[in-house]
Amino acid sequence: MSLVIVLGIAFLVSLATGAVRIPATAMLAALFRGHPLSETQQIILLQVRLPRVLASGVVGAGLAISGLMFQGLFRNPMADPYVIGSSGGAVLGACIGIYFFSQISFFGFSAIALLAFAGSVITMVIVYLLARSSGGTNVVTLLLAGFAVSTMLGYSSYLFETLGANSGQNQTILLSWLHGVIGIPRWTQLTVSGVFLVVASVLAMPMMRRLNTLALGDEYAHQLGLRVEYTRIGIILTGSLLTAVAVSLGGLISFAGLIVPHVARLLLGPDHVRLLPVTALSGAIFLVIADTLARSILAPTEIPVGILMAFLGGPFFLYLLRKTKRSYTL
Amino acid sequence: MNPLLSFRDVSFGYGGDDIVRSASFDLEGGSCTALIGPNGAGKTTLLRLAAGTLQCRSGSVVLNGEQLHSLPLSRVARTVALVPQQLIVPFQFTVREVVEQGRTPYLSFLRGPMREDRVAVDRALELADVTGLQRRVFNELSGGERQRVKIALGLAQQPKLLLLDEPTQNLDIGRQVELIDLLHFLGAEGITIFSSIHDLQLLEGNFSSTILLSPDTTLMKGTPGEILKPAILEKAFNCPPRRHPLLIERPERHVKRAG
Repeated sequence: MSLVIVLGIAFLVSLATGAVRIPATAMLAALFRGHPLSETQQIILLQVRLPRVLASGVVGAGLAISGLMFQGLFRNPMADPYVIGSSGGAVLGACIGIYFFSQISFFGFSAIALLAFAGSVITMVIVYLLARSSGGTNVVTLLLAGFAVSTMLGYSSYLFETLGANSGQNQTILLSWLHGVIGIPRWTQLTVSGVFLVVASVLAMPMMRRLNTLALGDEYAHQLGLRVEYTRIGIILTGSLLTAVAVSLGGLISFAGLIVPHVARLLLGPDHVRLLPVTALSGAIFLVIADTLARSILAPTEIPVGILMAFLGGPFFLYLLRKTKRSYTL
Repeated sequence: MNPLLSFRDVSFGYGGDDIVRSASFDLEGGSCTALIGPNGAGKTTLLRLAAGTLQCRSGSVVLNGEQLHSLPLSRVARTVALVPQQLIVPFQFTVREVVEQGRTPYLSFLRGPMREDRVAVDRALELADVTGLQRRVFNELSGGERQRVKIALGLAQQPKLLLLDEPTQNLDIGRQVELIDLLHFLGAEGITIFSSIHDLQLLEGNFSSTILLSPDTTLMKGTPGEILKPAILEKAFNCPPRRHPLLIERPERHVKRAG
């Protein structure tokens, strides 16, 4: 509950921050007391800042939940959609979509979004099969497989950039994805992403209890009557959907999906059922703050939030690796 | 009365040669059976076959008169629980959270844990005497405590048949006696027990029957007194004569457990 309040405050602060300061009190007054904002303020707020802040909330929640799911699935606190290549797969899928099928859509979903989802799922399956051994995953194998796959995917996306040098607009989209920029999404895009986030979170709920069971190992989970294969497929699909949602709004953002579930687990213990809502909200808060920092630290220049996260998350990841080496025997 | 579990001509191997070769035996409801045999004879494999985690290559495993492999997983898990030798738990799960997983076969896609599940978990913790440990982190427990928690996890399934894989392994003699007492107690609660065990001295007075599994001979079943004969053990364990206290013939053996 207190997290909801924190999220609200983070939203307000983030909305207020920028080249044109709009005091939070003025926004609240406009919302609750009917004191209208000036026209400029309204335009800035509704067409620029609000979509962006909401988008960073969606991206943060999506990455955090999928990080939580992948960490549970791999029985390993080092997993994260970026580290294990799921985000990279989504970006590559989206690239293919942008360059070849940008006009096509199925049942209202653009080919780009579908390909992003497919890319994410395929990558996950590959990394999972590579990293899995006797009921658990070896940290080293997981990280190496994830590293190799995401590097390959990252550079093949750059290849698209080179190939498509003549189409200017595509290139801008691509670059912002590879650097992890949360742009200013259109409202329709934001709505679709928001709906997917909600759907995937609802799907994730019954899986949380199963993640607890899977923590005992595949064989034990099977012995307890769990259909391990189906459960795994469900987790991979849902986690990839969340990754695809996040990537379609913010591109490659590293480590958010690693840090948030990890800290939540330190504070609340590893029970996934309790972790899900907390992780989702903290993820949103975390990325709203990070994005606000990214666009205001060096204002008027914006740092892509992906790059900021790499600076923040990298050291944390290394610290975790150090600690893991001692407490989990490989 | 039908036996609770029977193996009928069961064979199984992990790809290469068969480890378990046409094993046949019955476990009566309420019995307490020890499974002995040399390392690598297939004791763990046999237990996994009995729990349904492995499927036999030929022959059949029959649970309560029904083919084990044709039963739904969750129904088997409500009747049979296997306590493994090792349980590796990632993350800092507490004892209670670990034991709660034993309720999995009673839950469905939408049905989460309810009051009766909490009661069952409480009962399992109490039976295994680990109620006091329930808030501790599983990975920080000692070997003996972990063993009890694993048994509690099995008991949370409310099984009729409890399979244990080397429950006394790595336990000091004090903890071994505690564990044997626990098995007696569970037997008195009406749970059928089938446990592999290396420490042959623990058999007499504690187990009602013994199954000897050995790579070279066919499976033997009898009372501990019938199986624990130097001639049989020397052959099964491929041990030179008279080199171990158990291999020295004694006219009468009264290894009664104290307490």
